[in-house]
Amino acid sequence: MPPVSQRLDLLDPAEVARLGGIEIVAEGVVEGFLAGVHRSPFRGFSVEFTEHRAYQPGDELRYLDWRILGRSDRLFVKQFEEETNLRSMILVDASRSMAWRGAPERLTKRAYADRLAAALALILLRQRDATGLVTFDEQVRQLVPPRVKTGQWTRIVRGLIDTPDGAGTAAHAALQRLTALLARRGMVILLSDLLFDRELALAALRYLRHRGHQVIVFHLMDPAEVELGGPPEVRFRDPESSVSVVVRPRELARAYADTVRREIAAWRKACRRHGIAYHHVQTDLPFGMALRLLT
Amino acid sequence: MSFIHPLALLGLAAAAIPALLHLLQRRVPPELDFPAVRYLSAAERESARRLRLRHLLLLILRTALIVVIVLAAARPLMRVRGVGGGGAHEPTALVVILDNSPSSGAIVEGRLVLDRLRVLAHSSIARTTTADRVWLMLSDGVLRGGTREALLATIDSTRGGWQRLDVVQAVQRAARLVEAQPLPAREVHVLSDLQRTAVAAGRASVARGVRVLVSAPGRAAVNRGIATVAVSEGAAVITLSGSNAAGSDAPPVPVTIRIGGGRRGEVTARGLGAGGGGNAGASLSIALPLQSLTPGWWVGEAQLEPDELRADDRRPFAWRVAPPARVLGTPGAGSFVAAALGVLQEGKRVVTGRDVVISGGDAIPGAGARAIVLPPEDPALVGQANRALAARGVPWAWGRGGTPGPVAAPTLPSLSGVQVTRRYTLEGAGRGDQGAGEVLASVNGEPWLVRSGNVVLVGSRLDTAWTALPASPGFVPFVDALVNRIVAGEAEVDYAEGAPRVEFGTRGTDTVSARVYGPDARESDLTPATSAAATAALGGRDRVEVLEAERFAAERFSGTKRADVSGVLIVLALLLAAAELGVATRTR
Repeated sequence: MPPVSQRLDLLDPAEVARLGGIEIVAEGVVEGFLAGVHRSPFRGFSVEFTEHRAYQPGDELRYLDWRILGRSDRLFVKQFEEETNLRSMILVDASRSMAWRGAPERLTKRAYADRLAAALALILLRQRDATGLVTFDEQVRQLVPPRVKTGQWTRIVRGLIDTPDGAGTAAHAALQRLTALLARRGMVILLSDLLFDRELALAALRYLRHRGHQVIVFHLMDPAEVELGGPPEVRFRDPESSVSVVVRPRELARAYADTVRREIAAWRKACRRHGIAYHHVQTDLPFGMALRLLT
Repeated sequence: MSFIHPLALLGLAAAAIPALLHLLQRRVPPELDFPAVRYLSAAERESARRLRLRHLLLLILRTALIVVIVLAAARPLMRVRGVGGGGAHEPTALVVILDNSPSSGAIVEGRLVLDRLRVLAHSSIARTTTADRVWLMLSDGVLRGGTREALLATIDSTRGGWQRLDVVQAVQRAARLVEAQPLPAREVHVLSDLQRTAVAAGRASVARGVRVLVSAPGRAAVNRGIATVAVSEGAAVITLSGSNAAGSDAPPVPVTIRIGGGRRGEVTARGLGAGGGGNAGASLSIALPLQSLTPGWWVGEAQLEPDELRADDRRPFAWRVAPPARVLGTPGAGSFVAAALGVLQEGKRVVTGRDVVISGGDAIPGAGARAIVLPPEDPALVGQANRALAARGVPWAWGRGGTPGPVAAPTLPSLSGVQVTRRYTLEGAGRGDQGAGEVLASVNGEPWLVRSGNVVLVGSRLDTAWTALPASPGFVPFVDALVNRIVAGEAEVDYAEGAPRVEFGTRGTDTVSARVYGPDARESDLTPATSAAATAALGGRDRVEVLEAERFAAERFSGTKRADVSGVLIVLALLLAAAELGVATRTR
């Protein structure tokens, strides 16, 4: 196992991002991550039982078939086969709000999402899961259908790179289009700052869930969006809607923090109610820690 | 409510600063991209009411803070109940009378009286504010205005003076001054040893509304002083003054006379003043070796041994020694006069000549010669003698016979009390006019010895049938005085208050007069007035309070007592500042 100091998955995301492009970062992160967890984090839902074989010393005891042992007093272990028809789709929000960062030393939410998506795709593809990509703002910008063949990860990375920052966000439209694309049961991973209409987005996510998809939401936020700061008085402008508001950050900080907490809590509660996994991630969280949320 | 520093209230304009800043600081804020504006808007919507209240509260707190600080700086005075030494007061017109007369130099109970009075005066002035109008009066009677600091400096530099303070008159002047001031309160603080002699004359008229606070005097002190020194023929007559403790027997008083000194050779003589029940008013004569003194002005000094009040223990005097007069006594002057002139001639006090003629009305010399004229022995010649006097221009004449009685002669001690059995009344034709002359002695209130120009008239012949004077020890000195001093016109010696010294007046190259300075004899009496007497003399019970030092300090300005509430305001300002800090830093 590489020393902790060399594990890119545990370093500051911005520091890691300076090492190279998305591919290099994602591979480095995944290598470190997989070395840390010893086994695939997705084992259990991405593999299926195929046959029995005689037990040999060194086999893990947890794969012993206790029923056979009980009936025939012989030792058999269960053989699993990785499922090759699991379809995973990674949805990356490419709206203008994602191209923002609260401090120059941090990654934008979009950059963070790209690298996290690439790492996720790499992990899934290594498990031989068909993995695809959708980038969207008000409309779907890039669509890489889920495949498991060689070069798929490169295509996904290229899709991420080729997606420009958008203008607005209408996630539900993109999500509804996904329902047509994801005919087979699979997994949908949404990477977004969720700065759009919650009810509409939830309706789409609920629909996916209804269709049997496993849905995972990564709610990305810059730390500056959690803790309000800035000059004594400032006009904050929404880069997507151009709506602006003049505030004194110091006197509004507590109320703002409360509002954000409530919003996160509301998303978390709504997702849990519909069986959607929800994870709040700040862009200063090491990628490995974000990936670990899925285990 | 009033203020000690009202000009500081101009700072109230600063109360507008928070509001102005609020308006002026409405500049265009910097614009920043922030994706989570929707959260901000929601937070602001929820906090809008709280923020508005907070802003309003901050504006109020900051404005109030400035107002309170400015008010504290102006040091407001609030009327309070009760009496005490502390606190401030309403604007007051105040005259502090500090008695630094010679008697204040006495040592009573081991402490200089003036020091005690100065402390009280200092604290009175120190309690004043810029809203008050204050004057300081010393024993010179001058009302000194000025700033508190200037008056305090004056008090600190005040030393014992040589002028007597008439407290009654001083209080009346002070009361009149403060009454004229358009201020809510008026007080006169009298800081004096309050001699009974200082309040003995008159009664001060004090207007209603003027408080006269008098510091109670200390206890009485024993003192002896020299009231007057008069040099007459062959002797210095010294009158003592002073005060004795109740029931004490004053011992005899040693008195030393020194004449001349340095330039002309010092002559010293000593005498013993009366002892017994009291020295005040006692007089003693100390013989002077006048024969040995050359003609001219002489200065001397009488001294007592040091006691509690040093200012009156010495007193200078001056007199002129005339050259021996050339005198002729006519037969009509009588045998006693002739005998006296013979004695004086032997003593080289007179020589034979015609500069001065003593006659019995029978031979009045012409104009230009000095004449001492006795009535003629023969009553029939009185009319003729009167006509001769009138011809010479003398406005006096012998009139009817007068009643017997003792002679009263304040300036001639040797004459005083001598019995006169027969006399003519001296009637001045122009009495009341300026040229009527000077009455030197009287009997029963009627002139007996008068001078007009260089003519001296006597109401009686100098004969034992007329008066006991020729048989008395003072006769020869009297004749000496007549021929050498009185008929020649006495050299002017007058007296004035001041540091003991002698100043001479000159006319051309001649010294023609002398002024002898010394303390007023009444200063020697250190017996304090009773509170009742002082109260009555200084304005009456409803205006005057005679108070011991502590009560005096407490009663000052008590009629208009107000507390300086700046301390409370400072505490309030601190509370407001803390509240402002709390509200400003509180973000929720």
